Amino acid sequence: MSKDFIRNNIRRLRFNADEMTQQELADRVGASRQTIVAIEKGKYSPSLELAFKIALTFEVPIGDVFSYEPENK
Amino acid sequence: MSYREKENIVNIFSTLLITSVFAWKVYQKHLAGSIELNDNFQTWGIVFLIFAGVSIVARIVIYIIFHIINAIATREEDIPKEDERDKLIKLKATRNSHYTFSVGFFLAIIALAIGWPTYWLFILFVISGVISELIDNGSQMYYYRKGV
Repeated sequence: MSKDFIRNNIRRLRFNADEMTQQELADRVGASRQTIVAIEKGKYSPSLELAFKIALTFEVPIGDVFSYEPENK
Repeated sequence: MSYREKENIVNIFSTLLITSVFAWKVYQKHLAGSIELNDNFQTWGIVFLIFAGVSIVARIVIYIIFHIINAIATREEDIPKEDERDKLIKLKATRNSHYTFSVGFFLAIIALAIGWPTYWLFILFVISGVISELIDNGSQMYYYRKGV
């Protein structure tokens, strides 16, 4: 069930963005705080649209937010 | 515990409560002889329609009470808006629920085929309906906890 092979740097990016809270990020991308929590913990892989919204919020390329590691690595 | 998880617990509770109370009332009426359920399809149809109505009204009342209590306890009046993760979880839970009901439906047909009395068809429909509802809410809680 876990999507651990998709890594993300959201926690670090939030910290660098004036310690943005999970709720603030959720409001900006139109998701719930629980969804942001689940993404950060690797329990949910967001849709491409939501992933782009998160990247745009931090003004970084999507590859700086999410990275994919194949399971067999 | 998130609002969605609490909502699912309330749904499980209300499913069990409403179905068991209604089934008990109908069974008592059957024992008293005021309704005939053995092989009377029309009565079963009426009972199912009344159950649908009672169930909808009772669920609305229980949901309003839950929302009021939740708003007082958490001081959050707004219902969290449904996002893509909520929709995906609901979709997967509905799939699990439909599989469960399909199995129940199949068992009911088998019961008819092997010569069980016709009323077992309806009883098995009710049982599989309740179980599929529990699977729906249980699945949602599982996906919220473990990830989807």
